[in-house]
Order: sequence, then structure tokens, then C-alpha cells
Amino acid sequence: MYIIGLGLGDERDITVRGLEAVKKCDKVYIEAYTSLLSFGISSNGLSTLEEFYGRPIILADREMVEERADDILLEARESSVAFLVVGDPFGATTHTDLVVRAKKLGLEVNVIHNASVMNAVGVCGLQLYRYGETVSLTFFTDTWRPDSFYEKIQQNRFLGLHTLCLLDIRVKEPTLESLCRRKKQYEAPRYMTILVAIEQLLEVQQRLGGSGTK
Amino acid sequence: MVKFSSEELRRIMDKKHNIRNMSVIAHVDHGKSTLTDSLVAAAGIIAQETAGDVRMTDTRADEAERGITIKSTGISLYYEMTEESLASFKGDRDGNEYLINLIDSPGHVDFSSEVTAALRITDGALVVVDCIEGVCVQTETVLRQALGERIRPVLTVNKMDRCFLELQVDGEEAYQTFQKVIENANVIMATYEDPLLGDVQVYPEKGTVAFSAGLHGWAFTLTNFAKMYASKFGVDEGKMMQKLWGENYFDPATKKWTSKNSGAPTCKRGFVQFCYEPVKQIINICMNDQKDKLWPMLKKLGVTMKPDEKDLIGKALMKRVMQTWLPASAALLEMMIFHLPSPHTAQRYRVENLYEGPLDDQYANAIRNCDPEGPLMLYVSKMIPASDKGRFFAFGRVFAGKVSTGMKVRIMGPNYIPGTKKDLYTKSVQRTVIWMGKKQESVEDVPCGNTVALVGLDQFITKNATLTGEKEVDAHPIKAMKFSVSPVVRVAVRCKVASDLPKLVEGLKRLAKSDPMVVCSIEESGEHIIAGAGELHLEICMKDLQEDFMGGAELIQDDPIVSYRETVLDKSCRTVMSKSPNKHNRLYMEARPLEDGLAEAIDDGRIGQRDDPKVRVKILSEEFNWDKDLAKKIWAFGPETTGPNMVVDMCKGVQYLNEIKDHVCSGFQEASKYGALAEENMRGICFEVCDVVLHSDTIHRGAGQIMPTARRVMFASQLTAKPRLLEPVYLVEIQAPENALGGIYSVLNQKRGHVFEEMQRMGTPLYNIKAYLPVRESFGFSGALRASTSGQAFPQCVFDHWEMMTADPLEAGSQAQQLVEEIRKRKGIKAQLPPLSDFEDRL
Repeated sequence: MYIIGLGLGDERDITVRGLEAVKKCDKVYIEAYTSLLSFGISSNGLSTLEEFYGRPIILADREMVEERADDILLEARESSVAFLVVGDPFGATTHTDLVVRAKKLGLEVNVIHNASVMNAVGVCGLQLYRYGETVSLTFFTDTWRPDSFYEKIQQNRFLGLHTLCLLDIRVKEPTLESLCRRKKQYEAPRYMTILVAIEQLLEVQQRLGGSGTK
Repeated sequence: MVKFSSEELRRIMDKKHNIRNMSVIAHVDHGKSTLTDSLVAAAGIIAQETAGDVRMTDTRADEAERGITIKSTGISLYYEMTEESLASFKGDRDGNEYLINLIDSPGHVDFSSEVTAALRITDGALVVVDCIEGVCVQTETVLRQALGERIRPVLTVNKMDRCFLELQVDGEEAYQTFQKVIENANVIMATYEDPLLGDVQVYPEKGTVAFSAGLHGWAFTLTNFAKMYASKFGVDEGKMMQKLWGENYFDPATKKWTSKNSGAPTCKRGFVQFCYEPVKQIINICMNDQKDKLWPMLKKLGVTMKPDEKDLIGKALMKRVMQTWLPASAALLEMMIFHLPSPHTAQRYRVENLYEGPLDDQYANAIRNCDPEGPLMLYVSKMIPASDKGRFFAFGRVFAGKVSTGMKVRIMGPNYIPGTKKDLYTKSVQRTVIWMGKKQESVEDVPCGNTVALVGLDQFITKNATLTGEKEVDAHPIKAMKFSVSPVVRVAVRCKVASDLPKLVEGLKRLAKSDPMVVCSIEESGEHIIAGAGELHLEICMKDLQEDFMGGAELIQDDPIVSYRETVLDKSCRTVMSKSPNKHNRLYMEARPLEDGLAEAIDDGRIGQRDDPKVRVKILSEEFNWDKDLAKKIWAFGPETTGPNMVVDMCKGVQYLNEIKDHVCSGFQEASKYGALAEENMRGICFEVCDVVLHSDTIHRGAGQIMPTARRVMFASQLTAKPRLLEPVYLVEIQAPENALGGIYSVLNQKRGHVFEEMQRMGTPLYNIKAYLPVRESFGFSGALRASTSGQAFPQCVFDHWEMMTADPLEAGSQAQQLVEEIRKRKGIKAQLPPLSDFEDRL
């Protein structure tokens, strides 16, 4: 079983070792809900990947990874399986659960690292050493408007640290109404823009009555 | 024939002091509709001679056929009082003309929801009680409902003719019977002490009790007789009233009043001497055709008969004479006008019960003052099918402002939340109509204090709604009605011809609209389910659906199904844990049963989501021994945010707990609606959140992670807390003669019922039996009872409580497990109960 980081750009950002691993695996999955390659997982994008790697690729959505991970692991017992993750496997999104489970089943797990947004952010000229806790900004709903991230940004500022804000993407999320039902319906994909993120931050600031920390 | 025109009616609608909105409520067969006829006769819509036979308010063919009322029907009556009879009226009035908006409601318990809808839009209630049968189960139910809505009652002891003709009881015995009936009613009313409404008990000597014979169209209150004797004896009318009831005896030999029976043969109770005996005498003379005695007596009483009526004999003569002497309409209408409140008076105290918003905003004030110039506030309490198939009138009451033809109104549905656009529409009223039994009259507009029917809004109102002016964006809706019965009996329907399915879907929508209570739903298995209060209710619904809403398409109906509830017997045997799908979050919970009586308190709305937290803490700590701090930590009630289950936060010092509270509550709403055992509603379960372990980043603990986890952990805690099923149980009241008792007992035994009260009705050979009967066994109960008592026993079933089934649904092969599997199979889910490991995770 290989867990392979894809890096940040396009299909060619995979490492040489990663590419070799993909080529010799029987089955290749790509995780597609925590982040996206810059060209997106359109049918077209997927085929670009397939062409380049020379292997058919199975799209693994949230449900597959979280609820049916066992199926993937069972396959890994019989044959070699590659699990592709955008960025680094243990970067912004931690696929530790998969590793733990694989180990429990006695599988050999090889991790192939790659660049992640957690280190690529150095591109904006700020030192990686001066970053504090990373936060995610989620889409607000009518009733659910969490604000814990604001406090963390505030704490980072207090310590004189930068904050890396990850913005929400909702590629294939079930609607709230259907979450508990057997028949799932999905929301249209949404991606948070920087503008929305700033609006939400300002709203929280107003609510908490905080002084201008941004 | 019609004595008044719609113009006349419209004119009085503006005189808010001269309006009485009232409903007629009673047990089935106590004579509401028949009595209502007498009142309608006085307004001149039907002929006096046929009053009692027509049942003007039973507008449906099946109503006439069965002789019972099924739908409540409104009728607006115009009545002119004489100056002298109003002399002693002390309230506000505006001339002598009165408008009485009357609603006749069904008496059968299966149609209680119709009564609820009627009560909401009236201010007073005429409670009709059969003088022989007395206060029955439905009398009590509707009376409690009325008082809960702050409706002032007056009572009429009906079917007096039975005393004279059928049973021939003597005066003293009759007095005792009446006294008992009134006392029983007062016992119920006394429990509703309400400082704003004042004393709601009824007293014959105060004129709030009438004695009537609906079938023969006559009635009197003690006021009638007091007036007569006051002028004869030259005493004060008020004093005379006092003498005519209670422990006051008169001996014509000595011409003295005493407070005890002196024992002399001529000494009789005032009521017997002056009211009962004269009536009895007249009736006897008429029945025996002693016309030579009759005419002088009538002359003395000041009753003149028309020449052609003098030839009548026997019963017909008696009916005519009594109607002329003591017309039911005069006695009853006077009682209503004198003792029931006008909208102006009633809305002053009812506003608290009605308005959801702040009680000092302009809408609350407009309702309180019944202000026709204020903003429109109108409550639609029911939808009435119109003569052109598929359309409905929206029937309701204007509480403030005016509604007029062509006006644009804001329709706030039952799910409307102020400040949002949910369940909100703006539409024009096509026509405003006033309702007169079998016919309707269009009017230009209708001011506050009146009932009204609206045309053109039926597509936007499901069952009920609050209407206000187009621009009144900050108005809150009027509170939803609370029904006393719940839809516990359900039936699945299918079309015989598959291509009729669209008709069925459309028909069910219309059915849901036409009945205030019926619930139509689609199961996941694709079955269409109709839920109602009882067998009869479902029968009527099926008939309406097939004939009126589906144009006669053939339907197949499965056996009725009963709804169950899921509960727990004990506290979870351990704290259970579930992990979120991404395994980064863990929820720990326990389930325990709610304290005795708490689920009922939530049902009654004494405790709920919207309460003032202080009041809630007080009730919970004082009545249910809750810790005060804990009582402050209730997160939610469910299902539907009002149900009798809760989630309580027992965690200490957990970070980010607030950010997942909403998701846990949403998961709880789902879990409590579709329980782990058989996807039935839960009841009486308290879920305690013991601990949570959360990912520090919001994105890893969104709704998608927490909601399903909350639901799973609740199921796990339910399954570890000795889960049980609750089945609905009816209270059955049966009246039957002694020789039928054996049959009743044996049928009840077969049907798992048990009798808890058996009483002989005073002065009758009838027995009154009260028993509990599981709803599941009630199908075909009436039939079985009729068969084994040769038709002498009639049951009335009303939902009473949920009873725990002792069998353990987790035990293989137990009766409860079979039931669970049966329900699951019907719902199209896996028959086998899922194992605990489906819901509980290990570290």
C-alpha cells in the first residue's frame, strides 16, 4: 500500500519515486474532497492524470475514504494499491486514520512525501518559522456560525506570528436534511473565495467586539 | 323566508359590542345540531315548524345519513332583542341588534380536531349536556379544551323532553339529576382558575344554565320564570331567581318560603314548584289533548296561538305550544348575549394566548383592543372544500383590522419564522364571504371580531395560517392550535389502477387541507399513509379522498396500523462512544428515562423550547427534582423541537462545545424522530452528553462529521438503556343497560382491555363503564361489542396515554421483537435489528 503525495501544481508535480509507485500498482485511488489540483477534478482533468500516469484512476470521495476505507484496505491485502493525496499525505489533511488501520491489518505502508501548502506558503515572502497555528475557515450557514478560528488568529497575532488560513471547499457534501437519511442528496460544489473569508472574519470581529487585529 | 339580508348583517359586523362568536360543544348525540336548528329558526333561515328535524349545519350527505356531525360548520345569525329584555344588561352595547357567529362542532371524539379549530375562532361556548346521560368523556375533553383557550362557557341541560315523556320522573328526582349534571360540569371548570377570565363555573340562579329540549325547540332559563313571577308577585327579579334554585322551598298552603322541606305534602322546592311542574302540566295537557283546559292556561301565560295551529293534536300540538311559550332561541340567545363575551371583551384577555410576538407591539395592541382601524390580524383555522371540486375556502376569524375583497395579504404559514421568508407568501384575496350554513354570501369587507371565509388563498395555505396586511413585515404569527387528540391510527392506501397514482398524490394533498388533523405522508417504502384519530375518522377520510378528491377512483386500503413510541427503561449500562467518520472527533453519551410526568408536561406545552428558562428551571427543580444547574443545560427538545425527549449537556470545561451544539441537536432531532428500534418516534428519553473530544480545527468537525455521529451515539445509548416500546391506549367509555355488562366484559377481555370504573347512572338503569383498551385492539371493537350485546352498548374511544410493553425487543423471539420486525419490514428497512456495534465504537 502506497500513500502518495501529488504536490501542488498539476499532474507533473508528482515525485519520481511516486510516479514509479503509481505505475506498478494494481489500483489507484485519488482522494478528492480535502483539496484539489489546480486544474480541478473534472472528467477532463482526471483523464489528464490517467494519461500521464498510464493507469486508470478511481475517484474516492469523502464517503469512500471515511466510511468505506475498509474496502480499500481489503484490496490492498491482495494487491498493491496507491492512494493519491493532493499536497502531502500528512500535510493540511491528515490521513493518519488510514495508516493506523492499515497497520492494524498488518499491511506494509509506504508514504511518499511531496510539497504541501503548509510549506509552499513561504512563497509570499514570510518566514515559515514565524507561522502560528493554522486554521480553517468554514462556510457559515444560517444557524451555524462558528468563531473559534478568530480566537486562534488573535492568539497568533498576540505572539507576533502569521496565520495560514485554509479556505473551505465543499466538493460533494450531503445536504443537511439528508445527512441522516439513507438516500443522500448532495449540495452543488462550492469553493470559498478570499472575499467571502474576509467578510466572515469581519462579521465575527463585529460580533465579538474585538479590536482591529487584522 | 329569510328575515335578514347580507347588507343588514354587514352593518352589525361593525358593532363589535354586539357580536358574539360562539361554538356549540358537547358529547356525541347530546343534541348540538338539533339545538342549533332552533337558533337558526329564530334568524328565519328555516321554518319554525321544521326546526329540530332539518339539522341545518349538517351540510354533508353522510352527516345526515349517520345522524352525526363530522365537520364543524359556521353560520352567522342576526337577532334583534327587545328593549325591555335588554334593560338589565349591564355591559357595553350598541343598539338592540345582535350578530351571532355560531359554529356547530362534531361531538364524536374522532373529530375533536374540528372542535379545536372551532374554539380558536370563538369567544364563548354553549356546552350541551344530555340531562339523563350527564357529563361524558367528550364533554369533559372539549370543555377542558375550551377553557384552555380561554373560552367562557354557558351550559344547557338538553333533552328535557326525555324527562317528561320517556322517563316521567317526578320533580324532585329531576332536580337532583340536573343538579348533579351541573355539579359535574362545574368540577371540571373549577380546575381552571384564571384570574383574567374570572369564575367560569355556571349557576342556574345566575342565568348561565339553560334547560332545553332541542328536538321540540323549547328552552328556558330561570330568568324566564323569574321575570314572569316577579311581575305576578311584585318581587324583585334577582331575588326571585335565587329562590328558584337550590335549597329553597315554597308551601302554597302557607305561602311561605323556607330553606328546608317542612315535610308538608304541599311544600315543594322552588324549582319544582314554579318551573318544572308548570312545564310538566302543559306538556301533559297537550299530550292528552285536554284542549278545554289548555286554552285558558295559555291565555294566563300570555301565549297566543295561530288559528290553524289550534287544530293540532298530541305531540305536534305540544311542540307548537312549547315553542310559542318558551322558544329555545329566545332563552339561549339571551343567555349568550348576556353571559358570553363580545370580541371586544374577550380579545382583551385572549391576546396572551393568541399572539406569539411581544405583547406590547402594535399587532398585540390591535388584537387586544379589537381595533378595526389597526393592522389586519386574521387566523385561518380550517379549510372548507368549496362546491367546485378541488378548491377551498379559508375559514377563520379577523382579530384586528379589516379584510376586504382584492386586498393583498401576507400569509404566514405554521413554519414561518419572523424575519425569514420561510413559509411566507403574499397574495390577493379574491372574495370575502360570510358563511350561513348551506349557503354563502359575498360581502365587500369584514371587520375584526367576525368570522370570515376567504376565496383564492387555498393554494398557499395547507391547514392554517395567520394573515396580515402586505406591508406588516414585522408582525408575528398567531399561535398554532394545540390538539387534544393525536393521529395514532394510520392506514396505507394504494390505487387499484396504477395510472391513478397522480390522482392519489393530488387527492392526499387536498385531504390534508380539508381536515385540521389528518396527516398524510409517504413512507420510505413508497407507501402512502393517512393518519387520523380513530377508526371512524379514517373511514370518513377515506371516503372523502375517494369520492371528493379523486373523482371516485378505486382505492385499496390496508389494515390500519398503529404508531408506537420508543423509550428506555433504565439508565445506559455504560457510557457509550461513537467516532465521527474522519475519526478525529468522539462523542460520549448516556440515555436515561425522563422522570414520571415530565413527558406529559412537555406534551401539554408546560415545558418547552420556547419557555422562559427561569420558569423552566423552576418547574424542573420543584416538580421533577432536577438539579438547578442541570435544568439550565437543556440543549433541545425533539422530535420537531417540541417533542418529549431531550439532550442535556453534562460536560465540564470542553472547548468548542458551542460550535458542535447545533449539529448534535440536528442529529438528535433525526434520532428522536426515527428511533433505533423501529424508526418510530422516541418518547421520554433524556440523552446526556457526558464528554466530547474534538479536532481543534473547525473544518474537521462540521455538520457532516458531527450530525451522523450524534445520531449513532444516541442509538447506542438507547440500545444500552433497556429499550422498550410504548403502545397507545384508548380510554373507552361505554354506556349500557345491566344485562349487556357480561358481553362488554368478555369483549374487553378478548381485546386486552381492562375496566377501571363501573358506575350506575343516577336514576337510570344504565351503567357507565370506563376501561383502557390498546389502540391496536380497537379495530373492529365497536362491531364486536355490538354483536355481543345485541346492539345495546356504544363505545367512545379517546386516546388516553402511552403504555410500556413489558417484553424486551432485544430478546430474541419476544413479542416485542416480533413487533419491531413487523414494523421494520413494513417500512422497507432491514427486518433484523442492527447490532450495537453498528453504532458504538471502541477507542
